[in-house]
Amino acid sequence: MTRVSENSQHASMQFALNKAKNRLENLQLKGATLRSMTKPSDNPVSNVESMQLTSSMNDNKQYVRNGNFALMHLNVTEKSLDELTNILTKAKELAIAQSSDFYNEDVRKNVSKEVSQLRNLALSIANKRIGQKYIFSGYKTLKQPFDSSGNYHGDKGNITLEVAKDFFVPVNIDGHSVFFSETESSSYEPSPLKNFPQMNKSRPDGEQFEDTEIEPSRDLASVDEANPANQGYEKRENIFALLDNLVSGLENNEPKVVQGLLEKFDTAISRLITLRTKVGSITNSVETTMSNIESENIDQAARKSSLVDADIAEIFSDLTRQQEVLKTTYKSTQGMLNQTLLDFLR
Amino acid sequence: MSDLLNIGRTGLAASKKALETTGHNIANANTDGYSRQKVQQTTNVPITKSGLIHGTGVRVTGVNRVHDQFVEKRLRDSTSENEYFQSRADNLRQVEEIFNEIDNGGLNQVLNRFFNSFRDLANQPENETIRSVVRDNAKLVIKDFNRIRTTLDQLSRNIDNSMERTVGDINQKIKEIATLNRKIAELEAMHGETGDLRDQRDLAIKALSKIVKIHTYEDEKGNFNVAAKGVGTLVTAANVVPLRFGTQGIDQSSNGMDGSGEIFYEGRPSTPITSGFMKGSLSATTEVRNKDIKNLRENIDQIAYDFINSVNAIHKRGYVNREIQTDESGNPVSSFDAQGPVTGINFFKIPTSIKNAALNIDMSDDVKSDLSNIATALSPNSSGDNRVALAISKIQHERFMEGGQSTIEENFLKTVGKVGLESGKAQLDAEQSEGILAQVTNVKERISGVSIDEEAANMVKFQHVYEAAAKVMQTADEMFKTVINIKR
Repeated sequence: MTRVSENSQHASMQFALNKAKNRLENLQLKGATLRSMTKPSDNPVSNVESMQLTSSMNDNKQYVRNGNFALMHLNVTEKSLDELTNILTKAKELAIAQSSDFYNEDVRKNVSKEVSQLRNLALSIANKRIGQKYIFSGYKTLKQPFDSSGNYHGDKGNITLEVAKDFFVPVNIDGHSVFFSETESSSYEPSPLKNFPQMNKSRPDGEQFEDTEIEPSRDLASVDEANPANQGYEKRENIFALLDNLVSGLENNEPKVVQGLLEKFDTAISRLITLRTKVGSITNSVETTMSNIESENIDQAARKSSLVDADIAEIFSDLTRQQEVLKTTYKSTQGMLNQTLLDFLR
Repeated sequence: MSDLLNIGRTGLAASKKALETTGHNIANANTDGYSRQKVQQTTNVPITKSGLIHGTGVRVTGVNRVHDQFVEKRLRDSTSENEYFQSRADNLRQVEEIFNEIDNGGLNQVLNRFFNSFRDLANQPENETIRSVVRDNAKLVIKDFNRIRTTLDQLSRNIDNSMERTVGDINQKIKEIATLNRKIAELEAMHGETGDLRDQRDLAIKALSKIVKIHTYEDEKGNFNVAAKGVGTLVTAANVVPLRFGTQGIDQSSNGMDGSGEIFYEGRPSTPITSGFMKGSLSATTEVRNKDIKNLRENIDQIAYDFINSVNAIHKRGYVNREIQTDESGNPVSSFDAQGPVTGINFFKIPTSIKNAALNIDMSDDVKSDLSNIATALSPNSSGDNRVALAISKIQHERFMEGGQSTIEENFLKTVGKVGLESGKAQLDAEQSEGILAQVTNVKERISGVSIDEEAANMVKFQHVYEAAAKVMQTADEMFKTVINIKR
């Protein structure tokens, strides 16, 4: 038979009480914070996963911001293109009317006034701004892209925004491709960083990064206004030149010239429509992406909650049970404490 | 008849001694480390008288403590083990608190915000206000790297301080043991009772084994020796070998920090024995200091170093957000303007080494002094060019750490995961070893502990024997009287 001494009894009692109280304390902490864990060691794996989810959710918030920003840009661009199309259609209608010999010189003079007004309208659209930004000047957003004679001072920079992880969309159309001529550009950018100079990886041995000379990329700042040959070509093709030619044709009362412009108007209008389609499809994809992100956010929030938040029903039922356990432990120890054989020896 | 009186007297004396011992046991029922004592008694040497063998009563041969030295040893070892895990868990809990991001932001969220502020800047690269937001977020990143590093360093220093106190503790304990050794030897030379002193010595050794794992033995001369496992002798009979605490320079330190505390034998400062100790709270704290905290420090430094360099590498390629004089083909005329360089600007100060990168991280003076030095454009005079800002924000998802294995976040999360796992493991081990310790304590107390019930029963028993022995003497007295009365 094992001997039971005062101290051994006391030690086991203390151990049992301590354990019960420890568990209760843990549950109480969970109940008070409503978290299933309060420190990383409570569940290292879930902790790391929840941290990952937190940053992914923060990223998504940012992507939604980016998306909204892109949408605003795209909408303004689309509206400008719409107005521009209207202007050209109007000008074309006037040109068709004036291409016959039906009207006399005076009428043409008057119509020319109207066309030059349209040209001014087109110029104001070309110099449209969102806040302080010009939307049609490529990267040079703070520089007015078109002067009064319709020369382009922007570049062909294509600003892209990341609207979802690794999904970049262009948010601007440079003035050159809108007002001058079609340029090759797809509506989806795989990544603007594809052509980014190779990132310097950090080196473990602590050696310094060498300073590489950076050449500004030449193909970007590219409309070369200085080149006179270039200028003449654009004069013929661009929307301002088209309207200018119409004005001068009308002023000089030359229906043949006006007639010759009709086809060019058609090309310009169809180009604008193509651009609008492009902008529309980008807008669409941004909206789709944003709604995807939002539903992803809900999933992630649910997942995070399941990792971090406590199951309230479970905690409180555990808590009640543990309180019962502690009470029983107290009761059972009560019988052992304060009683010895001496109480019965009289 | 005088025999009878004498036999009664021995019975009386033995019972009295037994009752005294019972009283001693009851009085010490709650004394720490006390082992119950038992009276050893035997029959007196019988004598032969007129051809018959007569018993001559009882004799007390000694008072012994009830004690099992193997259980005592097991108790000591479990104490060392439990203290080791308990102290490791306590220390690691402090460490993991640094990385606790469950309810409030930590480095991961700050870094995330830093990268997202660059995405915001990519939306509006012309915007000065967002540039200042970027700079503020960079400040937060710097602050958090600093917080982690300084807190880790602080923990290391705290451990150094506690080591110094611990060494004082050890020295005091071993002196106590040596003194007890001397007293026990003296008493035993006079055949005195040494149970209580031995209990005290066991208690002192147990206290010592909370700090380090202890091994005790008696050598062939009967000297009682105490040695720290993995290090060497601390006490030989009445002599002690004291320990000393000192600090080491950065080159000799075992945790890569200047002025880290080391332990050595007095008079031999050139051979530190800090890492020799096994189990106990001492080796737990030194291990946390020399391994866990040291690794974390190096890890955080590596993350800071790679982060700084990757941001700089991209930022350097950008052009400042100012009007730059360019030549015909669009190249900048000069790489400097009135406000400083126009390209090749570092966002963060270039760290001199990986070591302490997280401690010394700071923004470059250019970025600090002028917001337009935060570059977003890959070509000059392109206020709307956001490619540099985009590229910096993409560092977040770039796998360039550990030779292309992980992103900054993944690397950091791995670090945090490891801390959590280590701490969780230590807590589990502590809980388990506590259970084992409780069990061994129980075994020890069952053998050596005082049971009031038992003592009460014994008291009744011995009292009855005492009374009976007194009765025997009374009877003898009456017999004398009867004999004397015959003469009347």
